[in-house]
Amino acid sequence: MTSLRARQLFAASLVLTAFIALCGAGLEQAFNSSALQAEEDKLQGLAYALLGAAEANTNGDLAIQNTRLPDPRLANPQSGLQAAIVNERGGLIWGSPSLADDWPLTLAPQEVGTWKFQEQGNWFSLTFGLRWLDRADAPRRYTLLIIEDNASFRAQLRTYRRTLWGWLGGAALALLAVQLLVLRWSLTPLRKLAKELHSIEADQQNSIEATYPSELTPLTDALNSMIQAERNQQTRYRNALGDLAHSLKTPLAVLHGVTDEDVKDSTLKQKIREPLSRIQDITDYQLRKAATAGRRTLSGPVAIRPLADKISGALQKVYADKGVQFSIDILPSLRIRADEGDLYELLGNLLDNAAKWCRKQVAIGVNLSDRIVELTIDDDGPGFPENAGNLLQRGVRADSQVPGQGIGLAAVNDLIGVYDGKIELQRSPLGGGRVLIRIKA
Amino acid sequence: MRALVIEDDAALRAQVTKILTDEGFAVDVAADGEQGLYMAEEYPIDIAIVDLGLPKTSGIEIIRKARKSGRSFPVLILTARDGWQSKVEGLEAGADDYLVKPFHKEELLARTRALLRRSGGWSQATLESGPISLDTTAKSVSVSGKNVELTSFEYRVLEYLLTHAGKVISKTELTEHLYTEDEERDSNVIEVFIKRLRSKLDPEATLNPITTLRGQGYRWDLPRQ
Repeated sequence: MTSLRARQLFAASLVLTAFIALCGAGLEQAFNSSALQAEEDKLQGLAYALLGAAEANTNGDLAIQNTRLPDPRLANPQSGLQAAIVNERGGLIWGSPSLADDWPLTLAPQEVGTWKFQEQGNWFSLTFGLRWLDRADAPRRYTLLIIEDNASFRAQLRTYRRTLWGWLGGAALALLAVQLLVLRWSLTPLRKLAKELHSIEADQQNSIEATYPSELTPLTDALNSMIQAERNQQTRYRNALGDLAHSLKTPLAVLHGVTDEDVKDSTLKQKIREPLSRIQDITDYQLRKAATAGRRTLSGPVAIRPLADKISGALQKVYADKGVQFSIDILPSLRIRADEGDLYELLGNLLDNAAKWCRKQVAIGVNLSDRIVELTIDDDGPGFPENAGNLLQRGVRADSQVPGQGIGLAAVNDLIGVYDGKIELQRSPLGGGRVLIRIKA
Repeated sequence: MRALVIEDDAALRAQVTKILTDEGFAVDVAADGEQGLYMAEEYPIDIAIVDLGLPKTSGIEIIRKARKSGRSFPVLILTARDGWQSKVEGLEAGADDYLVKPFHKEELLARTRALLRRSGGWSQATLESGPISLDTTAKSVSVSGKNVELTSFEYRVLEYLLTHAGKVISKTELTEHLYTEDEERDSNVIEVFIKRLRSKLDPEATLNPITTLRGQGYRWDLPRQ
């Protein structure tokens, strides 16, 4: 039940099913009892009519002449309507012409003045106990019995039930369909919002632009200002760090120069140089650490190929004397979820290192498998020294004679740490060093 | 060789200027981007050393505009922002190399020399032409392995001619590239230097390394090696 839609639909169908079931059961029950009541009323009416038509026969017992039967069905043996009168001992004293030989029910006398209506098997029966004054004004007790076949009643009930459930089912389906449409309609803004956020991540737009229902407006407004704030902050942050670097390093450069030029005493020179280079290393390290953005929310994946092309193009200029050949084997479509500035640092440091140490060739390759990006940078230089692991530690330089920043590998190592990646120094098939980096795509 | 230094920090500017002047460069300086851009577009310079973080016009902007107006001298950028993005941006805009602050004097000179060499089409730090060899690092000159003593100005003239070996260099060009705007110039002096160079490098007049082209200038005529 991960989507709002599924939840809504599940709840709606549950409620709807329960409602329809209860409603149907109630309607069926109501119809059933009212139909039974009607049946009873009908039979009761017939009983009164029969009694009205009854008169004493020659024996002084109650009987009804065929000509005075109130319902023609009583004359027809196949009609399913039968009537009989029994005396107090249960003996049949009158039966309608329709009376079958096998009266389906027991002919039991009934207490005077009471009605009894019931359904037994295929029959409805109504019995009425009565007292009759014969010609001698002597009271006699009789019981009038009427039975009617319930087949037509049952059939009617079945028809009703079929119709009822048919319509209720139809209504339920219609309601579900409407519910689906309503749900679709009311969730459209959320879907649109999700789409916009994707576009923002992919850098195709800068903010949430569409108009949203009033319930969502506070959310979209807040999101917009958050995105704006985050982007601005990142830019401000980078600029501030850049300014800080500039304003720290220019005087550092001056100090270096002064030490080189004006300090003649070589022990004093050494004494000044040592803390100076420490200050420089610490500044470099901290500035770099602060500038590392890491994975940020709402920032899209960055294509590596253009960065690798740009950086190798720039390095080709720097190492023009060597005529370094860069071969780049990266699919243009490959993107990594990382900050662009971070990727610049990563590739810049690694490629610079490789170009610095290679004889002629530097190769960059990227493989993507199982959402893990494997980046390899090879060179045909002398390869890494024995204690290569130390190079990954902050401040250790492979050869401080080589001009440049030197702490490139340590910087890369720190950066990879932020991305939970792995770095390995290996031997390259080109003969030199290979840096292997694994990070999540 | 004439160098342009664009750096807003006065102390660092003075330092870089001193390093380059000591090395025999004629140095023009600019303290902000606007002035720097003007000089980069108008002055006959051989190399520019440009700080990226400048007031008014950024270093990258200067490089881009200078390249657009057809200036092809090598550019070394000085940057404190050691972020690769800015380095790559600078190099893409047309710079040829970068140097991260703080730097050592040797680093600055090595890069500057390498860029100048490269711009003249030389791949080694020692420019060799015929029996004559000029070591740009040691600033020494030898003919057939024998050291030749040159004054600093003679060396500068020779370095310029040799760097642009095969090209006709006018007296004006030589003057412009060996003196800054503020220095007093006398193109007649050039003739004197050329004469002295000829006699020092080729006392028997058998090599004839420098050809005089009437009304046009001079050309280094020994083949490069």
